Amino acid sequence: MEKELKVGIGDMKLTRGEGRIITYALGSCIGISFFDKAIGLGALLHIMLPERQNIADANVFKYADTGIQETLRKLTAFGMVRSRTIVKIAGGAKMFEIKGNASFGNIGERNAMKVKQILRAEGLRLVAEDTGGNYARTMLLDVKTGDVVIRTFGKPEKHL
Amino acid sequence: MKIKNYEDMNLQELDVMREISSIGTSHAATALSKLLQKEIRISIPEVSILGYNEALSRIGNAEEIVAATLVKMDQDVDGLMLFLFDLNFADTILSALLGQRYESFEEMDQLAYSALEEVGNIIICNYVNAFSKLVDVDISLSVPSSTVNMVGGILTVPIAEFGHETDKLMYFNADFVMDGKKLSDWLLMLPDIKSLNAILEKLGV
Repeated sequence: MEKELKVGIGDMKLTRGEGRIITYALGSCIGISFFDKAIGLGALLHIMLPERQNIADANVFKYADTGIQETLRKLTAFGMVRSRTIVKIAGGAKMFEIKGNASFGNIGERNAMKVKQILRAEGLRLVAEDTGGNYARTMLLDVKTGDVVIRTFGKPEKHL
Repeated sequence: MKIKNYEDMNLQELDVMREISSIGTSHAATALSKLLQKEIRISIPEVSILGYNEALSRIGNAEEIVAATLVKMDQDVDGLMLFLFDLNFADTILSALLGQRYESFEEMDQLAYSALEEVGNIIICNYVNAFSKLVDVDISLSVPSSTVNMVGGILTVPIAEFGHETDKLMYFNADFVMDGKKLSDWLLMLPDIKSLNAILEKLGV
């Protein structure tokens, strides 16, 4: 059977050659896939919040800033070259809308903004995204092809 | 503040929270029973303090579709109330209310969704009313907001809301029993840490 790695919330997995990396039900969180085709290296990161506020927090993958940084460090150690790497993101939804409280639940939007800002600053190519909306997404990266599949409730599967 | 994390709570404090939650849940069950004109019993509530991944595995699989109603609490207690229905619960309620059966969430129309939101709101309001009377705090509630979606995505809402404070969720759940059938539901009362301290202090624990 083909290898399938599961990424929890505030977590990251990487693999090389073949296999699939999956993260389930991204709500306001963001899934970020990294893929370097030349060496068949792929990673999927699941972040929950834009920035780490407490530097004592050892859970670096929970936050966009420290999570992307640590993922890039690991991938670079495995031979990733930034100019070859393509990045795709999904998630950042607003699951609940509370009338008269616009700021509630906009964490998804803030996550998406922060992730894009960091990717730009790191000189990474964001080639596709499926963000926003009010529904959860399951994101799956096929490390053989770099294909990203997005599953949602009540809609057909989407390829990024 | 005495408590910095949910998991700092000792057994006595947890017991008190369970007791209050039991009273809240029984008020919610009474309201539901009046609405549906059916006898409803409840099982003994449990208080759980779990990480996201553990909480999720108790409730179901991440991609399972559930209906959820969310209400935000303000004033003396800040936090969220979240009520989750699985398909079985939703179907039982809708068949009692609307006389219609549903085999999936996809089949439900706007009317069914509104009915579920109302039921979620009634359960939450009755729970919070009983809770605030007992603890003697004022809690104001936002209008309810509902969704039908993957349970994993729904649970990230409270996790992200309190993400800088804690990685845990504290939730109470009790099963409703109607016509001899057990209905699983999850009522999550999620006070922030500051409010949790205020509640415990007010109760003299």
